[in-house]
Amino acid sequence: MKVSHRSWAVAAVIAVLFTLPWWSGDLYKVHLAALICTYWVLISGLNLVVGYSGQLSIGHVGLLAIGAYSFAILAGTHGMHPAVAIAASGALCALCGLLLGLPSLRLPGFYFAMATLAFALIVTEITLAQGNLTGGGVGLPVPGFPPPFDTPRGSYWLILAIASVVTWLTWNVARHTWGRGLVAVRDSVVTAQAVGVPVFRAKLTVFVFSGFTAGIAGALFAVLQSYITPDTFVFDLGLFFFVCIIIGGRGHILGPAIGTIVLTALPEMVAPLAKLGNFFYGLLLLVVVLLVPEGIGRVFQLLLERFRPRRGESHVVKPDLERLSRAIHAGRAIK
Amino acid sequence: MSLAARDVTKRFGGLTALSRVSLDVMPGEVHGLIGPNGSGKTTLLNLLSGYYRPDEGAIQMAQQDLSSATVQQRANLGIARTFQKPRLLPTLSVLDNAMIGGWRDARAGFLATAFMLPRASFDERELRNRAEEFLHGVGLSHAISRRANLLEHAEQRFLEIARALTQRPQFMLLDEPAGGLTPAEIEYLGGVIRVIAESGVGVLLVEHHTDFVFRISDRVTTLDVGAVIKHGTPDQVKRDPEVVRVYLGA
Amino acid sequence: MLVALITGLATGALYAAAALTYNVMFSTSKVLSVTTGHITMLGGIFGAWFIATLGWPIPIALLGSIVVGAAFGLLTDWIAIRRVLARSDEHLWLLSTLALATMVQQAAGLWWGTEPKPFPRLIPQDFSAGLADQKYWLPVAIAILLAIALELFYRRTLYGKLFVAMSEDAFAARARGIPTGRIRSMSYVIAGAMGGLAGFAAGQLTFAYFALGLTLTLNGFIALAVGGLGSNVGALVGGAALGILSAVATYFVGGEYQQTISVGLLMIVLLLKPAGLFGKQSVRPV
Repeated sequence: MKVSHRSWAVAAVIAVLFTLPWWSGDLYKVHLAALICTYWVLISGLNLVVGYSGQLSIGHVGLLAIGAYSFAILAGTHGMHPAVAIAASGALCALCGLLLGLPSLRLPGFYFAMATLAFALIVTEITLAQGNLTGGGVGLPVPGFPPPFDTPRGSYWLILAIASVVTWLTWNVARHTWGRGLVAVRDSVVTAQAVGVPVFRAKLTVFVFSGFTAGIAGALFAVLQSYITPDTFVFDLGLFFFVCIIIGGRGHILGPAIGTIVLTALPEMVAPLAKLGNFFYGLLLLVVVLLVPEGIGRVFQLLLERFRPRRGESHVVKPDLERLSRAIHAGRAIK
Repeated sequence: MSLAARDVTKRFGGLTALSRVSLDVMPGEVHGLIGPNGSGKTTLLNLLSGYYRPDEGAIQMAQQDLSSATVQQRANLGIARTFQKPRLLPTLSVLDNAMIGGWRDARAGFLATAFMLPRASFDERELRNRAEEFLHGVGLSHAISRRANLLEHAEQRFLEIARALTQRPQFMLLDEPAGGLTPAEIEYLGGVIRVIAESGVGVLLVEHHTDFVFRISDRVTTLDVGAVIKHGTPDQVKRDPEVVRVYLGA
Repeated sequence: MLVALITGLATGALYAAAALTYNVMFSTSKVLSVTTGHITMLGGIFGAWFIATLGWPIPIALLGSIVVGAAFGLLTDWIAIRRVLARSDEHLWLLSTLALATMVQQAAGLWWGTEPKPFPRLIPQDFSAGLADQKYWLPVAIAILLAIALELFYRRTLYGKLFVAMSEDAFAARARGIPTGRIRSMSYVIAGAMGGLAGFAAGQLTFAYFALGLTLTLNGFIALAVGGLGSNVGALVGGAALGILSAVATYFVGGEYQQTISVGLLMIVLLLKPAGLFGKQSVRPV
């Protein structure tokens, strides 16, 4: 896509999303859109961990819970200003990401997944046990945003703005050297090492970043729920985040975004699916893994390529030694 | 200013893969490394690039001891390599695969990249141009935006070389780069390797195609069961009776 | 306190049985399947259904549970492992077994209900039997039985030796003409049968509960990692250690921190001996 086409497309999408409260009909849809954007804040950060660096974290709901509870406690119990509380929740969860990531990112794939699962269950245990802090099983009420964000539309626009910024940040990382480095960590550690990528530090960096976005998402999520209990943060939710990314396609941003929208909205629109709940997500995940492991994003890519004119595919390698020599000399001139 | 293995010994359990082997690669030369299977060529290459540590002896670059340096540290010091079986990132384009070699030069960190500080876009533009030039240079102009898993074998091999060149290395370690190539492609490979060396990079060429090695190398070392049996110019090594007996045949 | 210890031992035996099933599946496929805990869950639920709802005699119900477990093991191999192992992406089997496990757990919840239901008495015994109650001793007996049976199988039977050959070097085994695909399916069937039996035996302890799958996958894994991947003795020891430690900690600190404590145990062991107590350093899980 040429740059000018892409800019128009992005502008169009933003315009559509911004005007959603007016064309979508009822306030319930606005609330749903706000929820989708909140999930996306977490998922876009998690995408760098799961989709790009290939670390299969299934327990990120634990970080969502920590973000939600810290917001509820800071803004509610202690009366902190919501904006500061949101930032603080993000920072706290980034720290938790660091503490979780340090021991577990060195573990092989299955061990790491189990570690994140255990983390999510431990967070639930602690929120239940530390009653005087978290309200235990009864839970905590959550204060709302200050005006002008205290209306359904206002909160939607705030969350949309935050989601847009987070998307922009992750998109920047994904399309530069860092993004390639992460894909190397995922697909060929030997290559990553050979070109100088600090594998563990790269994994840890995006994991901490994903903690930050999860914390922010947690705070926003808490406000949308207006009341949180440990039951709000079941493991199934963490699995849902993970599935959105896998189904959308690892190594893409748009795929998981569409995945998030579809997988959140679908059970709301199609009632029988809501009853099936997790079974539906499990089935989708299985189908994708068996048939299109690169995700639905790849399917669209393949379809697009069908319609693009195909020049004759050459596979002949014919070096241009003059050009090569000049390029190497130019490279050696850099200090 | 050379990259050298000095009297290195490497054991795996009860097996001694290399025994007091010394070898050095000078900038600007092609140094061929040949020997029968199991002679320790790949082990030596792995010792030089950092995947193994020597049990005895040392790896040095310009008098600096590298023996305990990690693979990444050596990449940052300017040691690049290719692999016996090409290792690429299948979901990325050929250009992206070459550009990954630019990691060492990237000065923008994670946050700088996320916030698109000017440094990040500048790095990216520079890197893209450089990688494209190398891809044109090695002969992959026709495949620059092609997905890497659609490449044929020869293209994969040349892509690995382009990636290594993007690292702007001082030394390139090539692990059987001619494996699976047609004679015409091997000719092209030879031309590319000579140009690389003549531009000042020191090249270590591990290979089984001995004619090819003798044709383009400045010096040749022959290994057999973990020890050096002959070292010298291609002519000297080619005629050495021990080398002929052990490896080349009558 | 004694009750806590005995309960811990019994729960630990269940974890040990799960760890044993992990080992059997891992030996031939180098895969750690997320469905491991769910096999046991199905054994318990179907056992309760056979006896209480369908009114089958207990030995038939036992057989039924074993068959259900074996069938689910085979299903895991067919759907989640077979097609996936051929591809180069190492993580795919984690995703496919995770997907299958999620589907099975949800389906069980939809069919059986989300409340734990009591599991019928297997051997006529008074409910006031206290510490000698079968709900404690059945799991322990079964875990030990399974471990012994596995050892005999590996040492004395041809197929067992083929399993061992495959686990040490699958490539070489295939080169020697061993039908590795069929052996792998067989190992999953055996693992499934083991899990079904364990679930049936432990039903009175755990109740027939759909959510058991995931917790058992996790705790069975902790027992496995503590004891050492690939070691059956380690599975028994790891399971017992985990069970007893959790129960004793619950007794002193209260039951609110069970998961935290079990993970804490895992972290300590992994820090001191990363391969687990009886693990071999060469066995590298993916």
